[in-house]
Amino acid sequence: MAEKPIIEIRDLSKTYKGGDVPAIKSVSLEIYPNEIFGLLGPNGAGKTTTISILCGLLHPSQGDVYIDGLNILSDLNQIKQIIGVVPQDIALYPTLTARENLTFFGNMYGLSGKNLRNRIMEYMEIFSLEKYANRILSKFSGGMKRRVNLIAGLLHKPKILFLDEPTVGIDVQSRIVILNYLKEINKKGTTIIYTSHYMEEAEHLCSRVAIMDRGTIISEGKPKELVAEHPEFKNLENIFIHLTGKELRD
Amino acid sequence: MRKYFFAFRKEWLLLIRDKAGLALLFVMPMSLIIISSLMQEYGWSSVTKEPTVEVLYVDNDRDSLGIQIHDGLLKSQSFIVIDSLNGKPVTELVAKTAVTTGKYMIAIIIPEDATKTLRLNVRLMVAKTLAGFGLSNMSILNNIHPKDSVNISIYFDPTVKRAFKSALISAIKSNNYRTETEMVFRTFNQEIALQMPMFKPPNVAYKEALQFKEYFPSYRTIDKIPNSVQHNVPAWTIFAMFFIVIPLTQSLIKEREEGSLFRLLTLPVNYMKLLMAKVGVYLIVCVIQTGLMLLTGVFLIPFFNLPMLDLGQEYLALTLMTVIVAMASVGFGLMVGTIAKTHQQAAAFGSIAVIILAAMGGLWVPLYLMPPIMRQISEISPMNWAITGYYNIFLRGGSVIHILPEVFRLFLFFLGTVIITAVYRRFKSPLNQ
Repeated sequence: MAEKPIIEIRDLSKTYKGGDVPAIKSVSLEIYPNEIFGLLGPNGAGKTTTISILCGLLHPSQGDVYIDGLNILSDLNQIKQIIGVVPQDIALYPTLTARENLTFFGNMYGLSGKNLRNRIMEYMEIFSLEKYANRILSKFSGGMKRRVNLIAGLLHKPKILFLDEPTVGIDVQSRIVILNYLKEINKKGTTIIYTSHYMEEAEHLCSRVAIMDRGTIISEGKPKELVAEHPEFKNLENIFIHLTGKELRD
Repeated sequence: MRKYFFAFRKEWLLLIRDKAGLALLFVMPMSLIIISSLMQEYGWSSVTKEPTVEVLYVDNDRDSLGIQIHDGLLKSQSFIVIDSLNGKPVTELVAKTAVTTGKYMIAIIIPEDATKTLRLNVRLMVAKTLAGFGLSNMSILNNIHPKDSVNISIYFDPTVKRAFKSALISAIKSNNYRTETEMVFRTFNQEIALQMPMFKPPNVAYKEALQFKEYFPSYRTIDKIPNSVQHNVPAWTIFAMFFIVIPLTQSLIKEREEGSLFRLLTLPVNYMKLLMAKVGVYLIVCVIQTGLMLLTGVFLIPFFNLPMLDLGQEYLALTLMTVIVAMASVGFGLMVGTIAKTHQQAAAFGSIAVIILAAMGGLWVPLYLMPPIMRQISEISPMNWAITGYYNIFLRGGSVIHILPEVFRLFLFFLGTVIITAVYRRFKSPLNQ
């Protein structure tokens, strides 16, 4: 790819304080605009640590990260304006309504007034939540909460969207709606970085994936290319098991 | 500033959604004030206002000394003097039994002929003195033989405090001296008149030369005597304000545990600004809480037969003091909530720290009852600065200028807690906690 990467990770390592083993070590990656990039790996592979560093939540122990040409350490405030984050946990306030939650997060991205109200309703309609806008979040089902969680990361129409297991523990219908919408915004120019345990989902959604294990990237490429490289395995899931092993992880 | 306002609105919504928690925040401190004031009313009134200690009084003398001590005790307003039980005069045996069985705490027995003995001793002393001037009264000198001192017996219950014992003995001695002095004065007059009939002694009544007048120094001309309410309302208000540490730390740790902190940290807004929005909301809670507690002191407390809280006239000083104490309390909560890793840590440390600071600060036990080392230590407690400030307003009529030292100290405390929070946040990622 001759295009300039939108995310550039060079020799990235992170060791937590008091930890003797690095959570990630010497990770280098380039992610290009308009990609849906899948970061796959078993538990403890280092996916969430990598995403946390990319979002500016953790300081790297070593290495450089550039997002849209901006340095993660010196230009963090500018980076935060152009990224959207959808954490694995439902990072919302359970005692506020869906509308109140989204209004707050929209406000924090500089949105307000009619523009924000309209945008909230637009997303609520896309995700079939318009009837529940004024309902307290704690009364929502798991799938509904996931959808609101996703909207909170999309409201400001970010250039880059980080998704940490966005479809975990939800019904098939909600999953289809979420994945279709992700494809739609990707077509419109949003770069998506996505972590998941669902290999089939990643295979269909991602334009490129990196498989991580024990803090390093052990394989990287387009899903179809990876399958072609390993003709003995039928799909990405089999390749994943082949590369990471059947040993249970903490 | 707009983002601060939006964050403030979110915090406000979160707070008001928890209606039960909110009610507890306001109702519990009000109950605390009423209960504490009722409990402490006895202790305070015993040293400041009405007689509360009952004393059985057995007057076997039935003459000047017995009457003078009886009246003197009544006049001191520190004791309730009981000289008859069930319509019968109290006898020594009844009094002793009543104290032994714990029905009464103190009994005083004035012996028979106490005044007579005193009078004879005085006459002999005066006669001996005048004989030195050549004015001998041989009938006295030859016929009166010196008698032993008069022994007044006092029975105390073992639990009676030393302060009460001293107060009672002092009151009896004072009345005895007065009786004796009057007797000496009168006897001198009589003897001189007898020995020198050509002179008519002037009719001069005995008058105590030493008089005491009590003052409670204040910045303005006010005559305000401390009572349980004037102490308890500000004391427990401060205590309740600092207990904001519990809901505030809960709010901070809940945000961390529920995962919303993860998203908050990815927002293009300084996290300290979000924390300051929380500070703003809880500051308002503290001020409302204080307002309700002061109103409890003014309007509700009198229904429990307790004195009404006198707010004084320095409302500006009162407002300033309340806001600054609220800032110190919220700052403390913010610091604890940021450093504590779990709800349990925050609740245990927060509540115990508040209790220790309250005890050190003189909120429970007045400072003058503490040992010198504790009095010195108390000066580092922000609650001590707070109660001193409120005392200056309520009891000494102090204005803004008179509370500035306390305001300054409390502001520095607030600033310190915020700086510690910011530094801790900067060097320790909340996600690692």
